Amino acid sequence: MKRPLVVALAVGLLWCGAAARAHHSFAATYDETKTIKIEGKLVQFLFRNPHSFVHVMAPDDKGQMQRWAVEWGGTGVLGAQGVNRETLKPGDVVIITGPPGRNPADFRMRMVTLLRPSDGFGWGTKAGETFD
Amino acid sequence: MAITLRGGHARPLLILFALLAFSAPAFAQIDITGSWGSRLHEDWMERCCGRDLGDYTGIGINDEARAKALSWDASQNSLRERQCLLFSPWTGQFQPQGVRIWSEVDAAGEIVAWKLSGNIQKDVVTIWMDGRPHPSPNAFHDFSGFTTGRWEGDTLVAQTTHMKTAILRRSNGIPKSDLATAAVYITRHDDLLTIVTIEEDPVYLAEPLFISRTYQLDPRGNQGFWEPCWAVTEIPRLEGSGIVPNYLPGENPNRTYIAETYAIPQEAAMGYAETLYPEFRKKLRGMYKAPDACGRYCCGWLPVGGGSVNPAPTLSCNDTGEGKTVAESGK
Repeated sequence: MKRPLVVALAVGLLWCGAAARAHHSFAATYDETKTIKIEGKLVQFLFRNPHSFVHVMAPDDKGQMQRWAVEWGGTGVLGAQGVNRETLKPGDVVIITGPPGRNPADFRMRMVTLLRPSDGFGWGTKAGETFD
Repeated sequence: MAITLRGGHARPLLILFALLAFSAPAFAQIDITGSWGSRLHEDWMERCCGRDLGDYTGIGINDEARAKALSWDASQNSLRERQCLLFSPWTGQFQPQGVRIWSEVDAAGEIVAWKLSGNIQKDVVTIWMDGRPHPSPNAFHDFSGFTTGRWEGDTLVAQTTHMKTAILRRSNGIPKSDLATAAVYITRHDDLLTIVTIEEDPVYLAEPLFISRTYQLDPRGNQGFWEPCWAVTEIPRLEGSGIVPNYLPGENPNRTYIAETYAIPQEAAMGYAETLYPEFRKKLRGMYKAPDACGRYCCGWLPVGGGSVNPAPTLSCNDTGEGKTVAESGK
C-alpha cells in the first residue's frame, strides 16, 4: 500500500510545482511582420480551448511536405462566428494565410484567413472574423 | 412602546438617526458584481496581442528575471503538460478577456467574500472580507493565491499572497516567483471598474510593478464563471519528443530586436530599473527613431481579417501581402 501513496505524493508535488502559464502573446509566438500562405489537405481539426488548431499537410518553402499547425480561436469566439467542430473535416483541401511561427522548425501559423475552395467556405475576410 | 423626545436634544438626535439611516454599511459599500468587459483600446499592446520577445520596457526586473525571460520560448505554451495550466491571480491585467465578479454571503446576508473569474484557465480568486488572517508563508500556494480585502471609502483594497511561480507578465517570458505579493485596488465609477495592481517580488522585480486597467459593465458580455481547457497535440514536432523549447544563454535571436527596431539603448528594452525614471528620457533624446513602416498594432495585426480600419492612417503598413505560397515566397 505504500507505493500508491508515494506515487500520489510525487504527482501531487509535481502538480503543485508547476508554474502558472500565460495567455499567448501573438507577437512573441509569431512573426507578425510576415504573411505566408499554405495550401493542402486538412488532417485534423482540434476545436477546443484555449485555442483551436487546424493541422494541414502542405509543402514548406523547400517543397517538403510538413504537418502545419495553424492556431485559431477558442470555442466561444469561433462559436459566435458560426464555426463549430463540424465545420472542417479531415480531407478538406484548404488555403490558409497568416503569420508564421518564430521558430521555423515548429511549422506553425496563426490563422488570418481560411478558404475551402470546394464549397467556397471562408473565414477571416468579413468584419469580426478575428480572435485573440 | 413609544419613545418621546423632549427639549433641546430632540433635533440633534433626529438628525443623527437620519444620517445613520441613510449611510451605507461599513462593508460592501459599492456593488461590484457583474460581467465586466475589457476595453482593449487601453494599453492595446499589453491587453490584446502581447509584446515582442525581448521587450521588457517599463517593467523593472533584475538580472535573474532577465536571464530567465531571455531563455523563454513561446512554444513552451504548446507543451501538452502546460497547455491547460491555470493563470496566476491578476493575470487578467495583461489579457484581453474581461472579468466576472460575484459575492458570497453568510447566513446573516453579510458578504463574506468577493469572487473574480471569467476566463479560460483562470482560477477563481476569492477576496475574503471576513477579517480572516493570511496563512503561514509555508502554507500551500495554489493557482488562485490567498486574498483578503477591506473597504477604504469606495475602494475595495485587497492583498494577495501565496501565488504560484508563473511566466506571465506581458506574455513574453518575464517570470514571477511564489514570493510575489499584490496590493489590489478595485474602484467602481458607475459602469466603469478600475483595477489597480501593485506587485512586488523579491526574487524577480527590481521595482514594484504598477498596472491600472479599466473594465466596462457589459451585461451582454456573459463573462463565464469557468471555461474548460483540453490538452491536445498543438505542435506535432513537440509531441513525445521530450523537447522543451528554450534559448540557451546568449542565443536568443530576439534579444536586440526592440533596441534595433526603435533605435533605443539596449538597457531600455531589457527593463533595467533606472529606465523607469524620467531622467532616463534624456538618454533617449535624439536616439529614438520611429520605424519607417508599422508592422502591427497600427494596421498590421488585423490587416486582412476583420475588415479592421487602420487606426494610424499616417503610418504605412509593412504588410508583406498575400498571394504567395511559402514555397513561392522562399521564406
